[in-house]
Amino acid sequence: MSETQVQFQVEFDGFADCVAGHRAVLTRVGLRCSATGLELHMPDGSVCQWRWEDIRALRDQADRDGLVLFQKGAVLARLILPKGELADTIKSCAPSLSKRAHPVPWRKLVTWSAGAVASVAAIIFVLVPLMAAQLADILPPEGEKALGDTTLAQIRQVLGEAEVQVATCNGAGGLAALDHLHRRLLPEEDLPYPVDIHVFDHDLVNAFALPGGHVILFRGLIEAAEGPDEVAAVLAHEIGHVVGRDPTRDALRSAGSIGVLGLLFGDFAGGTVVLFLANQMINASYSQAAETAADEYAHNVLEREGISPASLGTFFQRLKDQYGDAEGLLAHLSTHPQLEKRILAAGAAVDGTKAYTPSMGRADWDAVRTMCGVR
Amino acid sequence: MPPRILPVHYAGRAGPLFFLALKTGFFTLLTLGMYRFWARTRLRRYFWSAIRPGGIPMEYVGDPIEKLLGFLVAVVIMAFYIGVVNLILMYFSFAFFQGNELAYVLSFVGLIPLYFYAAYRARRYILARTRWRGIRFGMEQGAWGYALRSMAHWGLAIVTLGLTFPLTRLWLEKFLTNRSYFGDQQIKQGGEHFLLYGAMKHVYYPIILTGVAGVMTWAFDNPVWLALMLLTAPWVIFGWAYWKAESFRRMIETKEVGQIRFRSKPRAGRVLGIYLLGGVILNIVLSALMIIIAALAFVVMGGADIFDLGDLEQIEQMSAVTVPVIVAGYFLVFVTMGAASKAIFTLPLAAHFAEVTQVIDPGELATIRQRDRDEFAEAEGFADALDVGAAI
Repeated sequence: MSETQVQFQVEFDGFADCVAGHRAVLTRVGLRCSATGLELHMPDGSVCQWRWEDIRALRDQADRDGLVLFQKGAVLARLILPKGELADTIKSCAPSLSKRAHPVPWRKLVTWSAGAVASVAAIIFVLVPLMAAQLADILPPEGEKALGDTTLAQIRQVLGEAEVQVATCNGAGGLAALDHLHRRLLPEEDLPYPVDIHVFDHDLVNAFALPGGHVILFRGLIEAAEGPDEVAAVLAHEIGHVVGRDPTRDALRSAGSIGVLGLLFGDFAGGTVVLFLANQMINASYSQAAETAADEYAHNVLEREGISPASLGTFFQRLKDQYGDAEGLLAHLSTHPQLEKRILAAGAAVDGTKAYTPSMGRADWDAVRTMCGVR
Repeated sequence: MPPRILPVHYAGRAGPLFFLALKTGFFTLLTLGMYRFWARTRLRRYFWSAIRPGGIPMEYVGDPIEKLLGFLVAVVIMAFYIGVVNLILMYFSFAFFQGNELAYVLSFVGLIPLYFYAAYRARRYILARTRWRGIRFGMEQGAWGYALRSMAHWGLAIVTLGLTFPLTRLWLEKFLTNRSYFGDQQIKQGGEHFLLYGAMKHVYYPIILTGVAGVMTWAFDNPVWLALMLLTAPWVIFGWAYWKAESFRRMIETKEVGQIRFRSKPRAGRVLGIYLLGGVILNIVLSALMIIIAALAFVVMGGADIFDLGDLEQIEQMSAVTVPVIVAGYFLVFVTMGAASKAIFTLPLAAHFAEVTQVIDPGELATIRQRDRDEFAEAEGFADALDVGAAI
């Protein structure tokens, strides 16, 4: 009697709750640390050993001092240890407690990643632009106008500060001069909607066109221009965009691609900034051809009106001197092809035998320069 | 033998959780969102393991890589829908209605069934990856049925100005719970239809009283009646906390896992206290962050007054420095506030609801058997894509 008892009398280092994963029962097991691993002594007397290098612990547990252990490769069985000396011993004996228990399915991961990237790329770069181009062609002018009005309101909100929309400059003489100028720069055939010129009271040296014939000039651009011809050249360029219906295509395309990009980046930290940047990138790679076409339109129409096309070049030249050529990040963020190329193209459009006249008289130009108020 | 009572312990602590959330939040930021699958998995592991019925921690076995794969699966399907459908809607709404409101409305309405579908799938995935005592939880299929019924019930709740909301809440809870399992044992949500109306009483009383005050003010032209608002406004806020606590109690005490029952005593005052105190702490953290960022921005810019604003080049240089600082500051605030709100709101609430709850087991636990693993090709990819339950 006493002999059999002695056989089962093992000195345990501690106890733990064990779940096997077959039934919702807990089994109290005695634990012993040996040189090669952790011995589990079951209530029925059977013993099994978990080798030190196979033991893993669940990570990110709320109870930092205790341990929940399992064997590498085993799916269900768990050993739940309270905090104490034994838990600390195991932490020092088991070398790979926090290693991955299952191999990473690389092949599957790579296949699906490639599939997702390919499908998103196909949608953003092929399907959506293609559909946008098609739909832009059949969008009725009223629709285009409405799209432009909505976008204009949004942009004014963004450029303004807090709740205040950015102000427009309405100096009467300036408006009349610009109005007269833009009529000369229109194409010979009629546009489906009138071109609408807005001057924003904002420091940016920029100009852009929106769907439905809106053309926006910034005060910063008028101030940076060294003569009416440079403003005329920029205006002609933007009207070129209107003629090409580029803004409409662009607006429809971003409607499609912004949602897809939001899907990819998820809603971490209000990912709007990343989203915006990414969308700008796509914009740039997409509209180079449209920019070149708008430049060509400007060259032709300026030539027709007897205004020197070189002014587009001189304006770019000064931008280049001031800010450097748009390399690297800037090249992607500005939707314009590199300045160097455009300056050369503008120069090439000049007819050396022709006498050019300024696009507006001295008084008109002064009115344009002061239309945002005298500062 | 009297039934065994298993108290639920809670092991989570605000400090470690805050740092875990902060760390994983920054990783998510640095990887442009890709780490979010790991972040969410790690936070769930923490929250799950904190709940210890009878001293044995819950376990969350979801895998980040499985989530990433599920996300990729969802992207392939959803990218097409979102890209093409949004574009077409936009076109039609401008071509025929000259405005984009319709496009937004249609695009949103088109997503509603998908939203409920994704919510059900996400719950099923989470249950399938939850274990206690080594036994898996699980859920039957039924996502489209849930989407259909949810729309009907929520539609009714909206039409009746929220009067049927307690009905809706219980009804949908029944739909979800009655399809849930612990091991091979089905879980049941009991309770009469009107079970949850009592939990709403402290919302209804002050609303009725406000109505009375309004009528009296109008009838007797005596604005003194409006002073009643001083009573009813805080009463409604308390009523909302009372609803949180009492509806939880009523629903969990009518849940049945075979013979196993639950008992719970959540306190509305505690719930309210967590929100009020948490709000104060969160505001202090936010102010401190703002001051730090403002100070940093000032140091980086080297003091603002030396600038000649007429000089374009200097403005360019200045914005080249300040824009990254502002962007970094914005994200810093965003990640920190996210982590802080988990530590200040989510954790104490979970702790309170866990600690006041008991599992009453007349010996049935030992008979519950394991269930098979529920493979999930898309994990919670759709929910992730649609931002359903983005918190945890």
